[in-house]
Amino acid sequence: MREKTERAPRTGKDGVAGETRIAPQDRDDLLLRRAAKGDEEAFALLYRRHQGALYRFALRMTGSAWGAEEIVQDVFMTLIRAPKKYDPERGSVGALLFGIARNRVMKHLERKPREVALEEKNEDGTGAGIILQDSFTPAMWVEKRERMHQVRAAVLDLPAEFREAVVMCELEEMSYEEAAQMTGCPIGTIRSRLHRGRALLLAKLEMLRDVPRRMKVAR
Amino acid sequence: MNCEQVEAIVPDLDRDGAADSLERAAAVAHLSHCPRCAALQESWQAAREELRALGEETLEARAPARVEMRLRQEFRTRHRTMVAHRAAVVAAWALAAAAILVGAISSWNWRQARNLEAEKQKMAQSALAARETAAEQNQGSGTFSAGISVGDDSGDFTPLPGTVPDETEEAAILRVRMQRSSLGALGLPVNEERAGEWIQVDLLVGNDGLPQAVRLALEEN
Repeated sequence: MREKTERAPRTGKDGVAGETRIAPQDRDDLLLRRAAKGDEEAFALLYRRHQGALYRFALRMTGSAWGAEEIVQDVFMTLIRAPKKYDPERGSVGALLFGIARNRVMKHLERKPREVALEEKNEDGTGAGIILQDSFTPAMWVEKRERMHQVRAAVLDLPAEFREAVVMCELEEMSYEEAAQMTGCPIGTIRSRLHRGRALLLAKLEMLRDVPRRMKVAR
Repeated sequence: MNCEQVEAIVPDLDRDGAADSLERAAAVAHLSHCPRCAALQESWQAAREELRALGEETLEARAPARVEMRLRQEFRTRHRTMVAHRAAVVAAWALAAAAILVGAISSWNWRQARNLEAEKQKMAQSALAARETAAEQNQGSGTFSAGISVGDDSGDFTPLPGTVPDETEEAAILRVRMQRSSLGALGLPVNEERAGEWIQVDLLVGNDGLPQAVRLALEEN
């Protein structure tokens, strides 16, 4: 099941992320205030609360574990250096962090337009990969892994703006409103980017398949 | 609803709240009789499954622990520097305040001393003036006070202190030129500021050859 508590995009108000109840003293804005005064534990709590969602977003956008790590680090470095950058009137701490992450991702993509294929590793150094289930034969596992690789490559091949819309609305499963809020774009722009992104993605996936279904139907 | 419209709405059909119910019903009706759009929907559903699988693949992804370590290190360094910086700023302000205080006190002291000096001078001047006035008054006609500058030889001699009035018929008048300070030797008050002035006086010399009285004489030139 998808974890809701760490998803910055789901964070409507500070400290109320997903379904998890957070003690009033542990609200994001209060943690940030404490961190600005030098409370390391408050900073660590804030980091742990948001790093997963930011890391996943960066990872899905860049396709690079190293790049995602660098981006997450940059985001929190910014928070350490300029905690006063946060303005409660402009949104939640989660939204601020996501905004910084988004900028860093775009810069990263400009610098390195095409990363090598994602090969994510777990903390212990093992590959994340696909979890083998009892019903899977090795052949099926290889096939599925190959297909995942193709899907990942197709997503990473999308232009950055379309990719962002696809990552947010399809992989992160944000609503259009949430995506619009996070990117600061009108909802129509998100819909339009998503429409074009989906079309490109679909075409790419169809092309990668041995038997394109639409072509078959057209015939 | 035509194929183009359905194509636009297909990805939103299995998404809650993304399409309104009327559009959804129209699209479903179209899909039931259009094999091209039905194939498109099937393709999209497959793609969405794959995207979902891709999403699940990275669902548990987290930044490595080393990121937190680096950030904590940076946090500590940053805040240690900030504390030191803040202490330096406080110390600088304290020093500046102390310097201003010392300056203010010195200035106040200097002004006080100057005022005191001016007061003393004023008092000395007024005392001198008072002395001169008193001397003038003592001299009656003003012939030998410190402020005397002119006299006449109308015969108004001032007896010298300590002399006994004597027969003056045979006394002689002797005109001498001397410094004003010499009047002091005759027991008369002298204005110290004008002590160096040269004056002409007439001395009334008695039979015994000692001056009995004195008067200022007009300068001849």
